[in-house]
Amino acid sequence: MGPPAGQGPLDFHWQFRRKPVSYTGMSKVVVVRHAGHAGQKSLSQQQYSILLTVGLRALSGSLDIKAAFRQYFPFRHGGQAGVIGVKANCLARALNSTPVALADAFAELCVRAGLAENNLVIWDRTSHELQKAGFTLNASSFGRRCMGTDANGIGYSGDFHSFGEVDSLVSRILTDMVDFNLNLPVLKDHSIAGLSAGLKNMYGAIHNPNKYHGDNCSPFCAQVSNLEPIRLKNRLTIIDAIRVQYEGGPGFMEKYLAYYNGLIMSADPVAADAIGLEILERLRKVHGQPTLEQSGRPVRYLAQAQAIGLGVADRQRIDLQVIGVDDTGQQVPAELW
Amino acid sequence: MQRRAFLRCLGCGAAAVAASQTELLPEFLGGVQNAFAFDLTKELSSVEARYYKKLSGGGVECELCPRHCRVTDLERGYCGVRENRSDKYCTLVYGLPCALNIDPIEKKPFFHFYPGTTALSLATAGCNVNCKFCQNWEISQSRPEQTDNFDLSPGAIVEICRDKRLPTIAYTYSEPVTFYEYMYDTSELGHKNGIKSVMITGGYIEQQPLTDLIPHLDAIKVDLKAIRPEYYKSVVGGELKPVLDRLIQIKNAGIWLEIVYLVVPTLNDSEAEFRELAQWIRTYVGPDTPVHFSRFHPQYLLNNLPATPTKTLETACAISRAEGLQFVYLGNVPGHQAESTYCPACGQMVIERHGYRIQQLNLKGNHCSKCDREIPGLF
Repeated sequence: MGPPAGQGPLDFHWQFRRKPVSYTGMSKVVVVRHAGHAGQKSLSQQQYSILLTVGLRALSGSLDIKAAFRQYFPFRHGGQAGVIGVKANCLARALNSTPVALADAFAELCVRAGLAENNLVIWDRTSHELQKAGFTLNASSFGRRCMGTDANGIGYSGDFHSFGEVDSLVSRILTDMVDFNLNLPVLKDHSIAGLSAGLKNMYGAIHNPNKYHGDNCSPFCAQVSNLEPIRLKNRLTIIDAIRVQYEGGPGFMEKYLAYYNGLIMSADPVAADAIGLEILERLRKVHGQPTLEQSGRPVRYLAQAQAIGLGVADRQRIDLQVIGVDDTGQQVPAELW
Repeated sequence: MQRRAFLRCLGCGAAAVAASQTELLPEFLGGVQNAFAFDLTKELSSVEARYYKKLSGGGVECELCPRHCRVTDLERGYCGVRENRSDKYCTLVYGLPCALNIDPIEKKPFFHFYPGTTALSLATAGCNVNCKFCQNWEISQSRPEQTDNFDLSPGAIVEICRDKRLPTIAYTYSEPVTFYEYMYDTSELGHKNGIKSVMITGGYIEQQPLTDLIPHLDAIKVDLKAIRPEYYKSVVGGELKPVLDRLIQIKNAGIWLEIVYLVVPTLNDSEAEFRELAQWIRTYVGPDTPVHFSRFHPQYLLNNLPATPTKTLETACAISRAEGLQFVYLGNVPGHQAESTYCPACGQMVIERHGYRIQQLNLKGNHCSKCDREIPGLF
């Protein structure tokens, strides 16, 4: 569906008629695992590119990567309209943040799908955090953009967005600059929330995240992601689970790192997190850690997110596909475990 | 309006706060805009916070306010201005006020503390509660990187006071408890230089930090937001009991105390609550403690409610006086007779006010000029 005739290229109204995903039935989640990756190192852009391509094809059901991409980011032909945001998680600096190589691979995919490079905005809470995570800032009209909400002239929305107990201003990158958003967090343990993945990453989109850490971030994680601009613009969640810090997060603690070697992809932000939680709990068990509930950090916000219609947390209603891929792009058998 | 207010805050810092205050006198607004054009800084401070402990399993526990936030590496407490940096808990706002103003002391409001004088009023970003009616939410509910901050050490603040001959520093606008270290050092230095300090607070602070701070302060104004715990939970995002405990502590410490109660229509404006409040104040902090019933104006997250009717405020005033409180005032109702101070013995108007302006002083020292009854306070 395109914009009505006569509307300008950056009109923001038409997109809101779209419903990103239907949650009436099953939610699909694809986990793409890199076969043969021995750990102890990060993936290259090329390796990430293979995982993204295979994962997106599986998720969309389309072999045409352009068509697959546009299922989630339906910008108009030629990239004349439509700006895609990529919300990174850069809290833990280069040590355990969204990898630059993954963002680069996604950017390359965008260009292959026909998006003008300047219409891609990688963003987070502050420019400083992006830089510390290894990203190169760019607010110019040339090349891929990268900036924090604190960059000159950006800031937060003028009006509050509210849902449940949450009242927040939302980053203008999300409300004003981009038409669609990719949520691109890393999977890790969180000392309060238990799970830090897609929903928790959106705390970086609001001006007052410190107000919403009580009660294990429940129900706040669900409610923040249900704020209107976040809910409407988040079209896809890709959780980096190549290496997972299963304890001691969100700051970096090397001794708790494990290598899962996977990307979790879904248009349903709750289902993506639910699979992320399953992986996190499994890694904790393997490494002799108690469950998050036993640790006093039960992840209640996923069920709460399902209850408000944000997505599916119920495992019975998640259609999970696990794919193994080697460095040549060849698919190999794989399991979640 | 909210959008404009927020952008103004980001762009103009102190001027925005000045503009958001109700009934600001034009000469003060104009003066502030021209007086403080200091350079801004993007840097946050990393001064080690006081009152926290390291946890055995990693992370820290803040012991400054009753929240006792447990904060892991790179995270912040509820206030948004204290951060765990490798298990060193840091204040991010030391020496970084985002609002700086010269205000009449009546604006705080202090009605029994050197009436007619002015105070250098300052605030940093951050607050340890989240009142849905906050009039300064643009700074109190922001993180320090979201506000424009001046780089002013305690020494620089004292120097401004000396330069402009200001007798008092007021820590106000947001919640001074969240910039405790900066307030403590500034007030301590101020005292050494003959400059007084007053704190305008919600009183949501632990006992020990307050005990340590009180010797460096000259007066405290506490916003007692309600007398019922459920209001604190649902509207303020805090707890009532610690605030009541601190009020008693302040009174027992002998420092000058005034109380403000913001009357919010339908939420804390019943006659039963006014009576309960007055009885508590009379019993625990004394009938001679000034109490200000302030008028609410719709803003922040309570835009759906009307401004408080003057009649409701007058009811609160009448009930409190009937319960034995001797100095009851109405706030944000300029020109009302209950802005003035009356001698409890003879009824003589001892201080006549209009807004923040002192019209007439009928005091001999701190005694009524007519009957010589002592009027409590610092005059």
